[in-house]
Amino acid sequence: MRCCRSFRIYAILLLACIIASCSSGYKVVKSSRSDYSINQDLSADSNIIKKYLPYKAKLDAEMSQVIGRSAVLMSKKSSDTLPESLLSNFFSDAVLQQALKLDADIDFALPSTKGGLRVDLPKGNVTVSNVFELMPFENELVVFNVKGTEVQSILNFIASTNGQPVSRLKMKISNKLAVDVLINGKPLDPNKTYRILTSDYIGGGGDNVPVFKGITEKKVLGLKIRDALLNHIKESEARGKTLNAELDGRITKA
Amino acid sequence: MEELLKLSRRNFIKTGALATATFALALDSMDALALERTDLVKLTILHTNDVHSRIEPFPLDGSKYQGLGGTARRAALVGQIRIKEQHVLLLDAGDIFQGTPYFNLYGGEVEMKMMSAMRYDAATMGNHDFDNGLEGFHKQLPHADFPILCSNYDFSNTLLHRSTQPYKIFKKSGLKIGVFGIGLELKGLVDDRNYGETIYLDPVKKANEMAVLLKNELKCDLVICLSHLGYKYATAKVSDQVLAKNTRNIDLIIGGHTHTFMEQPEDVKNLDGEITTINQVGFAGINLGRIDYYFEKNKGKLVKTGSPYLISNEI
Repeated sequence: MRCCRSFRIYAILLLACIIASCSSGYKVVKSSRSDYSINQDLSADSNIIKKYLPYKAKLDAEMSQVIGRSAVLMSKKSSDTLPESLLSNFFSDAVLQQALKLDADIDFALPSTKGGLRVDLPKGNVTVSNVFELMPFENELVVFNVKGTEVQSILNFIASTNGQPVSRLKMKISNKLAVDVLINGKPLDPNKTYRILTSDYIGGGGDNVPVFKGITEKKVLGLKIRDALLNHIKESEARGKTLNAELDGRITKA
Repeated sequence: MEELLKLSRRNFIKTGALATATFALALDSMDALALERTDLVKLTILHTNDVHSRIEPFPLDGSKYQGLGGTARRAALVGQIRIKEQHVLLLDAGDIFQGTPYFNLYGGEVEMKMMSAMRYDAATMGNHDFDNGLEGFHKQLPHADFPILCSNYDFSNTLLHRSTQPYKIFKKSGLKIGVFGIGLELKGLVDDRNYGETIYLDPVKKANEMAVLLKNELKCDLVICLSHLGYKYATAKVSDQVLAKNTRNIDLIIGGHTHTFMEQPEDVKNLDGEITTINQVGFAGINLGRIDYYFEKNKGKLVKTGSPYLISNEI
């Protein structure tokens, strides 16, 4: 009897299995794959162009405006020059200069991580579009009051990530730690409170930059990073100055 | 059109015309097969990821990707494929937004309208789709004629409540294809204010739940995960590779986030020892991915699952 019952359970289970395997009507017998390059050899769908043309016309009028000139290509991909790059140095210096007009008391700047700089700044004419693509985010500049004892963690983040865009800061990287630090020309003083320029994004813990998130003492400058860049480039042009940058040894490997 | 197909970038450049001929032959023979055998159903999956507001091709300015991409060309290509293939799914793995002034000026409206015009079937959300906050994304949804699939973001306490759905089942002449979306952890990547009360749920756990539901309960013949986790990492961080190895019932992961130009899709053995394929096609709409599946109808026979099927890197 017991034997019969267990057989019945087995049969039901088997039946269930068969039903389960059969109920999916199809099975894959072959798969093939490829990818297409979307390049100039392809024709374009004119309906699509028609759809975006009104947007493009308005955008081009605003974006194609040349606002400055650059003496060099400032490349985003800078693995050969890290821990510094032309783009990082140009960017952080430009943003700091603009921020200083709104708040003269800034010790050093880390306005974005290098990942936040999205494209190269080309050699030659610089358009509004170039700046939008370099800094597409709506991030705002914020000055944080950071205790001297906590600054080292931020500097170590810069060291451990093989350099970030900084200004008014000089340091060496040794075993992923920041050493021989000079902030605005002076050694790091643990008893001093530093005023550091960064963005609301980084200030909120973005890109896993430490320390800033817990700090309530801060000043929002009311200036977007992108606007700071646009202002800087326009002002340089107005003064007849070509944009340039150099690797000045602000971050080196020890 | 065949000459535009490429198996892998490197090989394509090397072999050129010879490859073209081979592809053309492969295409013809398999299509002939599909025609002869009425029980064979072919499904063509086309996919993009991280298009990042690239409405027009990259400008001709000497940059690395100059002249590549663009929605008008992608639309034309998809249109040509749709003429040849009966069953097409067009999918996107997130980061639709951010990267060109189109987003800054119009907030994603143009991106959504172009995708709708191309008849995308579904997309998931990437971290940059939160760049104008939940409100910014919500505002563009009326322009999207396709569902946004997110299974591991709980939007219940946010503006996006009921604006997205965890999965969608597509039916193509008897075939059932289940597609669901998986997003990455937003904390540390997206400004807190931009995702608000969104709750991030464990992607591996959620993906397993979704895949079991789709394959076993809802009887899908194919389960596709649209993932914005990223292809792989040096650390233990959850990626498409981690997801593939630690789940069952997922046939295909269409990935994004890491902007990886994969030479070819990767076949990973999942928890059941079956194949989970991962593919990702770079970013900015520079490439369009294509995977074809051929299905055979079961005729009441017990089918041994887990038997490897033939995979060819030729369409």
